[in-house]
Amino acid sequence: MSQKEVTSKRHMGLKAANRVSNTAIYILLTIISIVWLLPFVFILLQSFRCETDRGMVGYILPKVWGFDNYIKLWNSDFRRWYINTFIIALVSAVLVTVIQLCMSYTLSRFRFKMRGPLMRFMLILGMFPGMLTMIILYRVLADLGLTQANAVPGLILVGFASSGMGYYVSKGFFDTIPKSLDEAARVDGTTRLQVLYKIILPLAKPIVIYTILTAFMGPWGDYVFAKYVAFGTSAGYNVAVGMYSWLSNDQIGNWYTTFCAGGVVVAIPVTILFLCLQKYYVEGVTGGAVKG
Amino acid sequence: MASVKLTNVKKIYDKNVVAVHDFNLEIHDKEFVVFVGPSGCGKSTTLRMIAGLEDISEGTVEIDGEVVNDLQPKDRGIAMVFQNYALYPHMTVYDNIAFSLRLQKMPEDVIYEKVTNAAEILGITEYLMRKPRALSGGQRQRVAIGRAMVRDSKVFLMDEPLSNLDAKLRNQMRSEIILLRQKLDTTFIYVTHDQTEAMTLADRIVIMKDGFIMQVGSPDEVFDMPDNLFVAEFIGAPKMNIIKTKLVCEGGKYYVTPFGAKIAVDGDKGKELANRKAPGGDILLGVRPEHIQLATAADHAIPCTLVVDEMMGSELHLHVDTEDGTRLIVRVPTLDLDKDQRKTLVAGAKLYITFEGKAMHLFNPETEKNLLT
Amino acid sequence: MKQYSDLEFLRLSKWQRFCYKFLAFFAAIPHAIANFFIKIGKGIKTAFVKVVDEFRDIGLTFAHGDWKTKVSYLVMGFGNMARGQVLRGILFLLFELVFIFYMVTTGGYWLSMLPSLGKQGPTKEYDPIYDTNVTTYHDNSFKILLYGVLTIFFIVAFIYTWRLNVKQNKIMEGILKKGGKLKRDKDDLRSMVDENFYKTLLALPLTGILVFTVMPIVFMILVAFTNYDGNHNGYSNALFSWVGLQNFNTLFSWQSAGGGQSYSATFGEILTWTLIWAFLATFTNYFLGMFVAMMINKKGIRLKKMWRTILVMTVAIPQFISLLYVSKMFARNGLINLTLGPQGLGWIKEPLPFWENATWARITVIIINIWIGIPYLMLITTGILMNIPADLYESARIDGANAWQQYRKITLPYMLFITGPYLLTSFTGNMNNFNVIYLLTGGGPTNSAASGAAGSVGYTDLLITWLFKITQGTEAQYYLASVVGIMVFVVVALISLVVYNVLPSIKNEEDYQ
Repeated sequence: MSQKEVTSKRHMGLKAANRVSNTAIYILLTIISIVWLLPFVFILLQSFRCETDRGMVGYILPKVWGFDNYIKLWNSDFRRWYINTFIIALVSAVLVTVIQLCMSYTLSRFRFKMRGPLMRFMLILGMFPGMLTMIILYRVLADLGLTQANAVPGLILVGFASSGMGYYVSKGFFDTIPKSLDEAARVDGTTRLQVLYKIILPLAKPIVIYTILTAFMGPWGDYVFAKYVAFGTSAGYNVAVGMYSWLSNDQIGNWYTTFCAGGVVVAIPVTILFLCLQKYYVEGVTGGAVKG
Repeated sequence: MASVKLTNVKKIYDKNVVAVHDFNLEIHDKEFVVFVGPSGCGKSTTLRMIAGLEDISEGTVEIDGEVVNDLQPKDRGIAMVFQNYALYPHMTVYDNIAFSLRLQKMPEDVIYEKVTNAAEILGITEYLMRKPRALSGGQRQRVAIGRAMVRDSKVFLMDEPLSNLDAKLRNQMRSEIILLRQKLDTTFIYVTHDQTEAMTLADRIVIMKDGFIMQVGSPDEVFDMPDNLFVAEFIGAPKMNIIKTKLVCEGGKYYVTPFGAKIAVDGDKGKELANRKAPGGDILLGVRPEHIQLATAADHAIPCTLVVDEMMGSELHLHVDTEDGTRLIVRVPTLDLDKDQRKTLVAGAKLYITFEGKAMHLFNPETEKNLLT
Repeated sequence: MKQYSDLEFLRLSKWQRFCYKFLAFFAAIPHAIANFFIKIGKGIKTAFVKVVDEFRDIGLTFAHGDWKTKVSYLVMGFGNMARGQVLRGILFLLFELVFIFYMVTTGGYWLSMLPSLGKQGPTKEYDPIYDTNVTTYHDNSFKILLYGVLTIFFIVAFIYTWRLNVKQNKIMEGILKKGGKLKRDKDDLRSMVDENFYKTLLALPLTGILVFTVMPIVFMILVAFTNYDGNHNGYSNALFSWVGLQNFNTLFSWQSAGGGQSYSATFGEILTWTLIWAFLATFTNYFLGMFVAMMINKKGIRLKKMWRTILVMTVAIPQFISLLYVSKMFARNGLINLTLGPQGLGWIKEPLPFWENATWARITVIIINIWIGIPYLMLITTGILMNIPADLYESARIDGANAWQQYRKITLPYMLFITGPYLLTSFTGNMNNFNVIYLLTGGGPTNSAASGAAGSVGYTDLLITWLFKITQGTEAQYYLASVVGIMVFVVVALISLVVYNVLPSIKNEEDYQ
């Protein structure tokens, strides 16, 4: 290699190297996108499969297409489960948001004597596996008559009652709103309550939406406690518990494609909602991870 | 329209960190008082205690004769301008200024009157429809002041209002605050770390350090007669030169002997020393840079070497080293120098300097207190 | 061990620095332990002094107080009412009446039964009229424990309130003596939305946490010291009772747990896998997620928004759907095996044992977890990556750093610093990641050596799924679940403690404000 070539390589290298690495990245990203989306495409395709064999098969494209699975879904207990889950999600979204905002706003803004100990105490509480409390909560709910067929109010109650523990993300957000705004407002003549709804809440829109969104999405995937509380009574199931039962060894042959249809019906509204509010979710998640 | 009185005010954090020690001060009606000091000296904390944003650990704060310790900020009859302006980002400028008036349930046409009036004075009428984010720093500052103005408060508190502005804007806003003060004619308490702001704005300056008041006085007083070494060094730019030396008394006259020279303490200070029959001994001698003159190799002049020369325009700052290596700053008005003299003032040049006898400050080296107070 | 000064430390090579820090950490342990005990000692002392002070204050208040104060010692809130604070007075009095009513009617019973957890279990008697055995139920251990704990909470709350009542009388007298004005009911109500607004805001959330988290946890900790299980459910078959530390002994003993393995070996095995899983799940996701985020963020890559949206979409779909579907995809007769098998492409003769072989199952679980986790991590890291000041990279490039060095020296340290707290919560979260394991494998394949008395234990079981399994069915061993739960807490707490002391970014909360 002559001196000239070496020099020219040094000068041309940057662009060429960039082109190579960018191409590699495009290929990789395409593969990743395919791998990540494929299972969901499969679920969608399977939900339209209307052959006599409704179990698992070794091919992807249905041989007979149709809406049978959706019709079967509509006529099954799934309708009840869906309504159950939807009610839980809706009510939780409201209650959990209120509780978490109360908690996080207070811990971000007020400096009272018990604040430090309280936060440390909740940190320690959070280290106990939540599963541990299920046994007793189940018995307490059973005493109150809020299990099995009445699982919906029971799940809502338990879900929102201890949601104050999850204040971290929104507290992190509130911490980024300058405290001098509160102070200016208080000098201007507001009470603390007015500070909250006149100044802070209008500024906290992203985190309010984030909290509502996560609180709404949570119940759709809640499996273990819902199963515990419903305890074998189909009327009290949510979608996760109900659809899980379709995949047991003796059911799967009949219900596998219906499961896929159910999956589509559950995923679509949540995903659309999520994509619409994506911006706020990303803000919340990033902020929360950074602020801890 | 009110006096403010602080009696034995203390601020203690976490039981042992004391931010403000025993603060006593009476601020008269319509007075402009500036709290000044380095960061962490407790000046902002004191202001915030007056505002009610910070609990008062001990002592009492009175506004207009009423103890306000347990009152909420809104009930104290104060208005406040914050360092970072604290404008409500989701409201227009108009709404920002009108916020406190609406909370008082004032009729909208009165609010309109007041807001437009304030906007006019501050020259922000054309921005009333904008949100704070669309304003420059100086404009935001005006809105913050406007918001405080319309409250017709008894006391006007300002917490480092100019420190987020660039130098040019700061000078401009400073003179506007002076004008504002003439218009509002109320009591002002102003916090800053910048001694220039303090000197130019204040009727009285409160100089603080580590939670203690170091001196209270008019700008002239603190400049001409600093109580202690800290105030002497803090007020005035460039900083006062401090020299370790001795005070000697010969035949009723007092001399200082810096760097082997012998300089008489003249004027009132000399007389005062004689009146007090002050003993000689080790002292710290303070000389402001403008009170050092260039001299020739004549008697009592101190020889030194020029290290750095800074041309400031109207004046020249010379950093010089004496023979024992002490660094001094000399301030020479440019007018006093002719062209040839200026040319000789380059790094490495040998110079002779002398001090003005009546403008020297003498401090006790142990207590760092002024010998004459 | 030799202490280095800061400058001496900076002269060490990377490896030496690591060793030094490592050794220093261990060298500091004895000191830390000593300090811990000294602190506890001091704590006990100050607590004792405080209690004495309280009693003295109560006595002095009584001695110096006027008759209104003295009556308040018996009739709570009397002093408040007599001095014009009707609202506070009524609340105090109401609380006292409710407390007395509760203690007289039921509280006393629960409290008296708490030491024994019930005396009389269910009895069966022959009923000649219906010619059948009739069971009569008597005491209920579960309720005794539950309401016993509640009663103790209630008593503590009462003592606190009573003390508050006494203190208020003292304060009121002090104010009146100085000629001050007392707060009126109106002021109290107004302060609830102003200076005491935080109490108003916290009331509901904290009550919820107290009743639905603290109470159950206290209860379950106590269960660890009983023999509560499926055969002693405390009501319909037999009462349960206190057994002291026996359950802890069982878990750490060499006593066989069935299947030929001791409890301690089973516990150790599950704990080891739990830690390995948490470590791998956290860090594979973290680094791969960051990698994907960096690829999308790279200058010159187009359609950034599209790539991100594709990944983000998968976050939205409820996990149980994707997990269950993927779990079936990898099943013996699932899509993958069928596609690769003789009916499909014919690449393999035997189905791949994704869920049947321990090692296969563990690896598959981790890989699927990556699939689940990357989009989420991509979201988190994207935001932070974009916040790294660009001039850091510019100056590094001028200093001659290549892409890898830039990553190692700038990106990674920055990310680790910012996401330190997140990594910790993510690690402990993964230790307790019930959904992924349970929905994918159900804990399987079965570990026959460990299963038996300790329930059915699988090779992918985490402590949390094991805990869940032993609370199921008629053979449930609640006491063992409790002990395991406490052990999970201990492990999480230990890890957090160590990490908290090492991480710089957690220490000062106010740094971020």
